[in-house]
Amino acid sequence: MQLMAEPAFNLAACLDRVRRRDQAAARELVEHLYPLVIRIVRAHLPRRVSEEDLVQDIFLKMFTRLDQYQGAVPFPHWVSRIAVTTCIDQLRAQKRRPEFRWADLSENEAEVLDAVLTDERDELPGDALAARELVQKLLAQLKPEDRMVLQLLDLEQKSIAEISQLTGWGQSMIKVRAFRARRKLQKLFQELQSKERT
Amino acid sequence: MKDFDAKWQRLTARARLAPAGADEPAPYGFATRIAAQAFAPRGARFGLFEKFALRGLLAACALSAASVAYSFSALAGESEDEFTLASDPLPELLDLSS
Repeated sequence: MQLMAEPAFNLAACLDRVRRRDQAAARELVEHLYPLVIRIVRAHLPRRVSEEDLVQDIFLKMFTRLDQYQGAVPFPHWVSRIAVTTCIDQLRAQKRRPEFRWADLSENEAEVLDAVLTDERDELPGDALAARELVQKLLAQLKPEDRMVLQLLDLEQKSIAEISQLTGWGQSMIKVRAFRARRKLQKLFQELQSKERT
Repeated sequence: MKDFDAKWQRLTARARLAPAGADEPAPYGFATRIAAQAFAPRGARFGLFEKFALRGLLAACALSAASVAYSFSALAGESEDEFTLASDPLPELLDLSS
């Protein structure tokens, strides 16, 4: 039996219908963009934040500001920007980060960190998932804006121009933030190296 | 700094190898809820409770203003009752008894 191919989603037509206050089109738009938005939210926020509330907030902002969308950038990029700025606002609202200690790490994360600090090989051994968790914990020690820059630059490998488009920050400001964030992380690494692993 | 940069790059390179989660569809009913909220009239976002609470507050304000207006003369100390109270009936009664 031959499977029927799903028809491609027509974003422009859907947006036209949404502007005419078609609820079915609004539903389709949310369903179409949900994977993109949830990916951004999960990449930038710690797990304790209620992601469903945040995603809901992002979509409501999208509908409220829909009249401001002029089509200068692709619509998913425009929505990504709303998602990123909403995540930064959420990070700002969170309480101050506690001091970072070896004891806060799981066994796998501690092994990865140990390898980073002592192993000189190009290829880092250890669990990739633990490495990602460790990176997230280290980034959580930074200011929200600095954290966002390193996340986009070093983990998602976006260019400075792309980050500028996503965040609305100037390119030189992004470079300054990246430099400042790396300096802070370097200090953190030095502190961890001087502390005894427990 | 160069030493740190190399360490950080190795760590993030390893972290990037972690499998990304599969594209997840919206939970059941999520899109419907958002679409309904997005097109809800502004007034409808107030709950029934808020509407009644607001009306109750307005009624309470009106009642307290009315009661102040009604008893203004008493509060201002210009009442006739106060004048009549100045002539205490008790001594008169005592006079009658003696």
